[in-house]
Amino acid sequence: MLDQPLQPFSPPAALLSYLPSGFTSGVAVSWVLYAVFAFWAIYTAVAVYHWMKYSHASWVAFPAMAAHFFISFALMSYALSGNAFFLTSYLP
Amino acid sequence: MKEFELEPGEHVVLEARKHWFLFLVEILPYAIMGIVPFALPKLLVLAPPMAPYVALFDYHTILGRAGLGIWLLVTWTSAWGAFTRYFLNAWVLTNQRIVDIKQRAYFSRVVSSLFLSRVQDVTTTVTGVLPSLLGIGDIKVQTAAEDIEFVMHGIPRPEQMRDVILKYVSIDPKSTGV
Repeated sequence: MLDQPLQPFSPPAALLSYLPSGFTSGVAVSWVLYAVFAFWAIYTAVAVYHWMKYSHASWVAFPAMAAHFFISFALMSYALSGNAFFLTSYLP
Repeated sequence: MKEFELEPGEHVVLEARKHWFLFLVEILPYAIMGIVPFALPKLLVLAPPMAPYVALFDYHTILGRAGLGIWLLVTWTSAWGAFTRYFLNAWVLTNQRIVDIKQRAYFSRVVSSLFLSRVQDVTTTVTGVLPSLLGIGDIKVQTAAEDIEFVMHGIPRPEQMRDVILKYVSIDPKSTGV
């Protein structure tokens, strides 16, 4: 049994206070985002390679890839700027 | 399909993949992952000791928005990867052979052919209430050599697939070009 109510922790603020001068939280977030986007690009390149090599003749291939790019770019834009294009109305 | 070239006189009769319901089950975890960031703050409010943690889910800050964007991007990309693997796994039936294409992972692909002239037995199995209602089952194709058998799990309407295979098996081997 807990005899005290749980208190919310705040690791991001605590961690960000240790950042070197000139390296703002905004810059840190941007670098994290770019790292994630780089992994996304590698993963997507591998998947697209498989689609193009093995299922290029299927009518599903290009709509599937187009949907992936549209939705991914909208989510990336949301993470960077808050503007998610056609997904804006569904996101906070 | 680039994995195999059709022989002269050979044509594709049908392509089969896992039943769509099994695909939906496969992507269900990603759907739940996509809902979690929106549902969790509402659920935390219902439990008073956890209510202060709702502040961590403020998506109007730069950090919150970036976190949500990354979470949804990873979820969406994973779900799309699951669809890619689902689509790249297939059985192709031609008038001469069955081609089993297994995409176990990216860069791990096995393509095997079984000529219909060697088929001795085709067995279908449908087990359970839901598979019976939705027409989901397994199909096993065996040859005279006991060690060679093709099995595909969770395909739609396995009986129909078996009938089509047997139809082409029963055609005179000379006409199949084998």
